[in-house]
Amino acid sequence: MTNGVMNGAINRKMLFILGPLTVLVMFGAVVWMASQLMSREYRDPYRVPSATVDATPRTEGLAAERADAETKAKATPYAEVEYRTFPIVGSRVAIWAVAELHLLFAAFVLAVPIFAIIIEVIGYKTGDQRYDRLAYEFTKLLSTSFSLTATFGACLTFMLIILYPKFTNYLMSVFSPTFLPYVLLFFFEAFFLYTYYYGWGKFHPLVHIGLGLGLNLVGTAIMMIANAWVTFMTSPAGISDQGAVLSVRDAIYNYTWMPINIHRFIANIAFGGSVAGAYAAFKFLQAETDEERAHYDWMGYIGNFVAISAFLPLPFAGYYLAKEIYAFSQTLGLTMMGGAFSWLFIVQAVLIGNLFLAANYYLWLGMGRVEGAQPLQKFIKYLLVGITLCFAVWATPRSIIATVSELRAMGGGTHPILGYFGVMSAKNTAVNMLILTTFMSFLLYRRTGKVAAVAWAKKGHAAQLTIFAAAAFIVIFLGVYGYFVEATVRIALSVPQVSSVLFAMVAITAIDVFLFRGAKKTGEVRWGRMPVVSQYVLIFIAVTFTWLMGLMGYIRSGLRQHWHVYGVIRDTSVDAFTPTIGFATQVVSVTVLLFFGLIGFVFWITSLHDKPDFVAETDREPKARRHGSELSPKFALEAPGEHGRTS
Amino acid sequence: MTIPHPLRVGALVLASTFFYTYVGQMVPQKEVLPPQETVIAANLTTADMVMVGQEVMNGKGLCFTCHTLGKTEGPFRFPDLSGVDVRAMTRVPGLSDVDYFAQSLYEPEKFIVPGFNPGMPVINKPPIGLTDQEILCVIAYLQSLGGTPTVTLQTSHQYYTPPGAAPGAPGAAPAPAAGSAPGVAPGGAPTAAPAPTAPAAPAKGTR
Repeated sequence: MTNGVMNGAINRKMLFILGPLTVLVMFGAVVWMASQLMSREYRDPYRVPSATVDATPRTEGLAAERADAETKAKATPYAEVEYRTFPIVGSRVAIWAVAELHLLFAAFVLAVPIFAIIIEVIGYKTGDQRYDRLAYEFTKLLSTSFSLTATFGACLTFMLIILYPKFTNYLMSVFSPTFLPYVLLFFFEAFFLYTYYYGWGKFHPLVHIGLGLGLNLVGTAIMMIANAWVTFMTSPAGISDQGAVLSVRDAIYNYTWMPINIHRFIANIAFGGSVAGAYAAFKFLQAETDEERAHYDWMGYIGNFVAISAFLPLPFAGYYLAKEIYAFSQTLGLTMMGGAFSWLFIVQAVLIGNLFLAANYYLWLGMGRVEGAQPLQKFIKYLLVGITLCFAVWATPRSIIATVSELRAMGGGTHPILGYFGVMSAKNTAVNMLILTTFMSFLLYRRTGKVAAVAWAKKGHAAQLTIFAAAAFIVIFLGVYGYFVEATVRIALSVPQVSSVLFAMVAITAIDVFLFRGAKKTGEVRWGRMPVVSQYVLIFIAVTFTWLMGLMGYIRSGLRQHWHVYGVIRDTSVDAFTPTIGFATQVVSVTVLLFFGLIGFVFWITSLHDKPDFVAETDREPKARRHGSELSPKFALEAPGEHGRTS
Repeated sequence: MTIPHPLRVGALVLASTFFYTYVGQMVPQKEVLPPQETVIAANLTTADMVMVGQEVMNGKGLCFTCHTLGKTEGPFRFPDLSGVDVRAMTRVPGLSDVDYFAQSLYEPEKFIVPGFNPGMPVINKPPIGLTDQEILCVIAYLQSLGGTPTVTLQTSHQYYTPPGAAPGAPGAAPAPAAGSAPGVAPGGAPTAAPAPTAPAAPAKGTR
């Protein structure tokens, strides 16, 4: 107890002593810290009096420094910046995505008027109002898309100027004579487009068709000018070795200009048809009445028909383009087909194979909407086998990705059997047979619900079958023959292969037209009687077409590798390398998703046209009406709508 | 519960896009970098030049995009380069192997090997754009394919005269004993040089 009290007293004493001591230590620490901080503040250096003749006080010194910097800044000469950097994703990816979006919308805006005017002309010639309304329905998609195309175009131009100023400056110097015509044409495009759209049913039909023709001509001219800029980058012409302009005409009319014009013109139609088909499918899925379903089923069918009809000759345009690339530079051609980009063509094969499969599947499903189609449906299984085999051959790579042990077992990177299917002979054969098979599906679909009634029907069928068999034989024979000849001969074999397929398609169609003139109907087409899955197939086709456009755009552009203008202006930016295929496909996918987000917006805006006008609660009764039609939705098949012509 | 169609459509768009992205990941992935400039020191020996030439042909020259080496059968788009020096000595009458190689590189359209189509680019101009020294190294490497490399950086040919050599007086400097430093890479590190040592005789391409 006593010890405890004592200890407590000692502890208190200690506290009395330690308390002031701690305060003193802390005070000392504060003083030391303050002195340290004070010592870091700028002070004029101590100078002995004899050395302080030029003693400049701090404030004046700082002012002098600022003035000096300002003078230097004013005297800085202009230096052209070569590159600037876009945040996060980098300049290349930013330009890539914006250019791709611009091209996708531009393709759509250029394509829709082409088939809209064809449908309109059919409507005018036949007097069938449904065609007129269908053409108008397609045209409705244009207005918003045109604005988005222009927006992305302007965005692309500004981004090029900001991010790639030196290169853009060069391109502008080469093509300066084309810019004013381009702007004028763009103005005319806007004039024709809006007059064509808003003038529907307001002019004499022939005047309106003339407007549509003007729209198409101007649109195509715009595309061709823009193509000159793009193709010049891949296959420059009309310039000296150092890049000085010698002939603008030659710069425009370079090796790949005309092939790209043709390829894009056809591809745009295919792509536009598929997107329009997707719109119809979307509307079909939301339709509430049989009448709506019938209309949008028909519209979807036409969209798909346009897409696939344009798609069939597209590979031939692709051959022409590839041929011209090789003619310009074998190195460029081999980089594309045998070098860094060759594997992209395997990805392309998967896409095109899917397109063929989906298009055929849609046609086969479509047979179900025609009464009496059963006899023809039995052929579908053979067509399916043919398409699958061709698809498999086309998607087979020449060299196989394998482990070391697998490579040893194969004796190299090429599979001893499958390797034979990876060469051009096999692939050319496969794609030509795919086209022939799909064409056959079209023919079968055309004949559902009708029987030829002409006297020469039997001979006509036999002639068609003979032409088809002969074309198939030529394609397969030349494909096999290609394995036994030198490259120079083998490359040339693709011409008769392609020619025989084209001839077969033209000849069989010509016979078919006359064969089924006045045909006996065995069943009606029941529009709208399509399974829901068929509409998802249409949307899948549109996505695949869009993705394919993105991929092929990348190949065309990326082919230049580390050149802005091939062999003339070298890319010295941080993005000069060619990315992996995986990365490229990711960028393509993101762009495609952005496009579908925006095209969904276009669909929504277009659908607003059919919505009832907003009316306040008080006067709802008297004003309630649909904007597009007085009676019913304007797609009513029998009565002409507000926009239909009555002539 | 029924999923609304717009959601299904969105899911389909997403699934299709992901599928194609997945396909894109399944193929070989390779980033292709811009070709590196090869630094050619003035004191390269012939053996060094052979190695530099091989490097140039594999990289900046893009030669093996079209040509093959050691392919014995099958279709040939462009000539295989195995043993090319043997053929080069007699391919065009009056041209030595060095002159023939130089002509093939500077003026490839002048002579086309029978059975092949023209397609070789002019190598000293863009987009390939090899320098005269790089081309000499390439010639050295080509000589090593079936023959004995003889060229040096002082070798003249009809398209190039090295600085210091009188124009039209090719062969300004005979090939030094190229094998004097066999197996020494440009950087100086000893390596296993594939090229045989060159004789001390004057370069074949010199005139």
